[in-house]
Order: sequence, then C-alpha cells, then structure tokens
Amino acid sequence: MTGTGLIGRVRDAGAGVGPVGRQSPGWQVVAEQECRDLWWSGRGPGLVFAFSVVLSVMTYLAGTGQVLNFLEQREAVNLTLQVAVAVGVLVTLVVSADAISGERERGTLESLLLTPVSRRAIVVGKLAAALSLWLATFVVSVPYLWVLGRGVSLVGAALLLGLLVGTLLAVALALLGLLISAVGSSNKVSLAVSLFVLLALFAPTQLPGGTPKGWFGDLLVRLNPVDASLHYLAAVLVTGHTWTRDLSLLLSPLVTAVLAGGVLVAAGHRIVRLHGGVSGE
Amino acid sequence: MAGVQLEAARLTKRFGDRTAVEELSFSARQGEVVGLLGPNGAGKTTTIRLLTTVLAPTSGSFSVAGVPCTRPSEIRRRVGVLPESSGYPGHQTGTAYLRYHARLYGLSRSDAERVAGRLLAEVGLAERASSRISTYSRGMRQRLGIARALVNDPAVVFLDEPTLGLDPAGQRQVLAIVRDIAACRGATVILSTHALHEVEEVCTSVLILHRGTVRTSGTVGDVTRAVAAQRYAQLRVPLELVGRAREALAGVAGLTLEPADERPDILRISLNEGPATRQGGPNTGMNGPLRAVLSADVPVLSFEVEGARLSDAFLAMTREGAQ
Repeated sequence: MTGTGLIGRVRDAGAGVGPVGRQSPGWQVVAEQECRDLWWSGRGPGLVFAFSVVLSVMTYLAGTGQVLNFLEQREAVNLTLQVAVAVGVLVTLVVSADAISGERERGTLESLLLTPVSRRAIVVGKLAAALSLWLATFVVSVPYLWVLGRGVSLVGAALLLGLLVGTLLAVALALLGLLISAVGSSNKVSLAVSLFVLLALFAPTQLPGGTPKGWFGDLLVRLNPVDASLHYLAAVLVTGHTWTRDLSLLLSPLVTAVLAGGVLVAAGHRIVRLHGGVSGE
Repeated sequence: MAGVQLEAARLTKRFGDRTAVEELSFSARQGEVVGLLGPNGAGKTTTIRLLTTVLAPTSGSFSVAGVPCTRPSEIRRRVGVLPESSGYPGHQTGTAYLRYHARLYGLSRSDAERVAGRLLAEVGLAERASSRISTYSRGMRQRLGIARALVNDPAVVFLDEPTLGLDPAGQRQVLAIVRDIAACRGATVILSTHALHEVEEVCTSVLILHRGTVRTSGTVGDVTRAVAAQRYAQLRVPLELVGRAREALAGVAGLTLEPADERPDILRISLNEGPATRQGGPNTGMNGPLRAVLSADVPVLSFEVEGARLSDAFLAMTREGAQ
C-alpha cells in the first residue's frame, strides 16, 4: 500500500476526544455548517433572489400600477410587509422540512447521530440555520419598505413590528417544519406535508372578501398562526391600534412555537432518529 | 493482557414482533480485530447501531471502554463508526468534512484543522484534501469515512462493510488501514463484512451471527476447527469409471459426494471429521474413501485434500441455523 499508514500510538484505555481548546457548543457547530450548506450551495441565495424579484414587482406595482397605487401609503407598506413575512416564513418552513428527512435520505444523518452532540442540539442548530433564511428575506425587504413608506413616519415601526412578528412566526413554522421532517417517513412526505400545511395556513388569507365574519370567522383567524399574525400587522399599521391592543392575535403563533418546540425538546431523542415514520425504531 | 474495551451482555433489539438481535453477549479486548460475520439480515448492522447508541436496546446492556450504555453521549465520544451506507456531502472538501466532524467532538477550529490534515494524510488522501467529495472515487470515500471514524481517537472502531464495492487495490488499502488502526492506535476494531478472506487476513477473532443470535465466536482457527469439522477432497478418476467410483464411495460412512463444477471426472468428497477420524489409521480421514475407490479397481488420477476454512464454518453455522 502506498501513501497510507496510520501514524498511531497505542491509546490509553478509555481515552477519546474530550473538550479541548476553545470549543463551540454542538448546536453552534451544527448551525454554522448548516448555514454554510444553505448559503454556499446556492440554495439560500437563489431563494432570496426569487423573493427579491417578487418584492420588486410588487413594489413597482404599488408605486406605479393603476390599481395598486390607489392604496393608501400605510396600506402599501402593510401589504409589502405582509408579503415579506409570508414569503419569508414560507421558505423557512420549506428549508426546515428538508433539514432532517433530507439528511436521512442523503445518508448523512447517521454520522451526525454518532457524534456526542445531542439530538436536541442538532435540532437547535438546524433551526438557527433555517431562521437565517427568514432574516435574509427580511433584510432584503427593508429597502422596499423604506421606499414605499417615505413621507409617513411608519417605516421604523413597520420594520420593528415585522421583525418581531415575523421572527415569532418563522420560529413557529420552522419548528413545525422540523417536527414534520423528523417524523416524516421520507423527504418527499415531509415536503408534501409541509406544503399542505402552508396551503392550509395561507388559503384563508387569500379568500375573496377576507375570512368569514362573526365569532366563527374571528376564531378561524385566531387559530391560524399566519392569518392571526398578518391581522395583527394590519391592525397596528393600517388601523392604527396600539401594539398591545391586539396582542391576543399572536397567541396562535406563540402556542404553535411552544407546542412544536416542546415536542422536539421533550421527545427529540426519540423522534430525531435514523429511520423516519411514526412507528417505533 | 490488554483490557476489555467492548462488552455486551444479553443485548436484544426487537422491532415490533421481529427480533433483530437476541441475547447477544461477547467481549473484545484492546487491539483486537473482531470479524462480525453473518448472512444478510443476520443482525450485524443492528448490532453495530446498538453498540454505537444509534439504536436503543430493547433489553440487555453493554459498555465501551468501561462506560455503560446508560451514558450514550460518553460512549459516542469513545467510538468511531463507518456506517454501512454512509452518505457524504458532495459539495464539501475532504478537509471541511473532517474538520466539521472533529468540531462536533468538541475540538477547537485550529485543533480540528490539524486533526483533519493529519488523518487525510494517514489514509492517503492528502493530495485530494481540497477537492470536493463529489469528485472522490468510492474507495476514496471509504477511506474518508474511516478517517472520519478516527477524528475522536476512538477506543473502539466499528467498520460496517468497509470494502464493499471496492476494487482489489482499494480493498487492500482499506484492510491495511484496518490493521494499522488496531496495531498502531491500539483500538479495538469490529469489522462487519461478507468477505471471509478479509476476516482470515486481518481478524484476530470472529463472531458469527445468524438470525440475530451468536452462532459461534472465538479465534479464526478455533471457530474453523470447532465448527467446520468437514474436510473436502477432490478426486479425479477416468471419466468412464466415474460411476464405479461413485458406487464404491457410497459404501463409505460419514461421507457426502458433492457435484464439482463442470468437471464430470472430478468427485468432490465432503467428509464429516469426528474425533475418531482425527486419530489416524488405515480407514480414518480421507484414507477410507481412497481405499474404497482403489479397492473397486478405479485408478486415481489425482487427489487433493482441502483443509477446513472459515467459509466452511460460516456456511455450516448459517445453514444449520436456517434449517
């Protein structure tokens, strides 16, 4: 054999790599690598570019179009912010839905599970990487909102509100995506289920004439984390409500985040595993 | 004597109604290379996944380098694994891949970089360290996988079919690395493979699994002697006298005639060797069949005795289990 040969030493029994030097926490190492994979592979930049094209068209229409330019400036800012939040969380959900089942299918999950990094830390690392996509889409939307909001003292509040509500929603949907990805029997299944969830959550926001009125309509809005968040943005930015008045609308994204995160934290070691599906391994 | 690095006691894994591994017990010492053998579905991969904490056992226990299975994270710090169907991120370079895994074991960036460079050199991939993994051949990927299994300087290394799909040169390279892992690093190696010649070449002991249970274990020589008591011989006689030779051999006890491949003039004799036949004597061992053929006035053109091999033991054990 040429070129090989282990420069070894007879090891001490029980030895093994322990924390040496200035080491990073496991979740951070996973997050860094996931971010590199996402952004260097071209997937992240591609999604953000597509998002910026959509936003450009929307902003152009809102500024010059014969129909959309009749929108009051506040409504134009709100509409653009809603699109930014909606598309941002959409891509976050899709990326997180691929995070575990995709690795499983590519055969790289086993080597990750064989490391001392806990499954909980793996989930947190993947969550952080997925959220980087949401943050990128939000940063891209800042100049558009600034252009549309010129002249009204709304841009700063809209940006802060969008960042807070969007991050809450992105965390909720990313955790939901990770949960689906963990229990999905295959990558196809987890992506299909995630897209179905997206459709189910976004469909009510696109109903002609809005959601049904009355207590039932209100209940539907409040149960749907996406619809509830977008209603909250509109209530503050367009109707002029205070930030605290409709906070109850943010209950459903918060509950979704807590429930999905809770399941991943409590049962992470059982559901983040080599084989997907809901049956025992 | 080197200490026990791996010990399993009555390890069992069930998937629903199906038992993949049942009451598995064995131990391995420091520097040993243990061949894990068994037909497809015997439970080899499940055994490795249990011992590396990827799967949780249904019952039983095990320890790695003295760490009990109740501390899986600590065990993962002490084992290195090349899984059976390991995937590799094609867009990463060999260095980036090893550096990432080294950091997952708690190494700092600089230490991880150093370890990655050293291991790539050790497995003969230094020149391709900066190439994307997608450009690696299968053999190079296997060596990269072995390097990854060594990033944490493990006490026990599990290699699940490391030579599968490799050309002879690639197989030789991997086997040399396996030998070095045990000899130079003093690590215990568990080598799961279907290639029995590899086991005979590099393993100090074997464990034959069948249907999730240990059929036999011990050194290659012990297992072969204890289990593969059959001995084979090939007897060539004139083609026109094959029938008479067969008749003569039919009268010899403890003997089976097996078909020889595409050579009707060759009779393959399988002899069940018992204690009596090992003592020597005019009619013991292969003497009986030879005497019978010669007594029937059949000239023997050639006679070749084959010693018992590990493959005989393997087939004997797994065939018996299957029945």
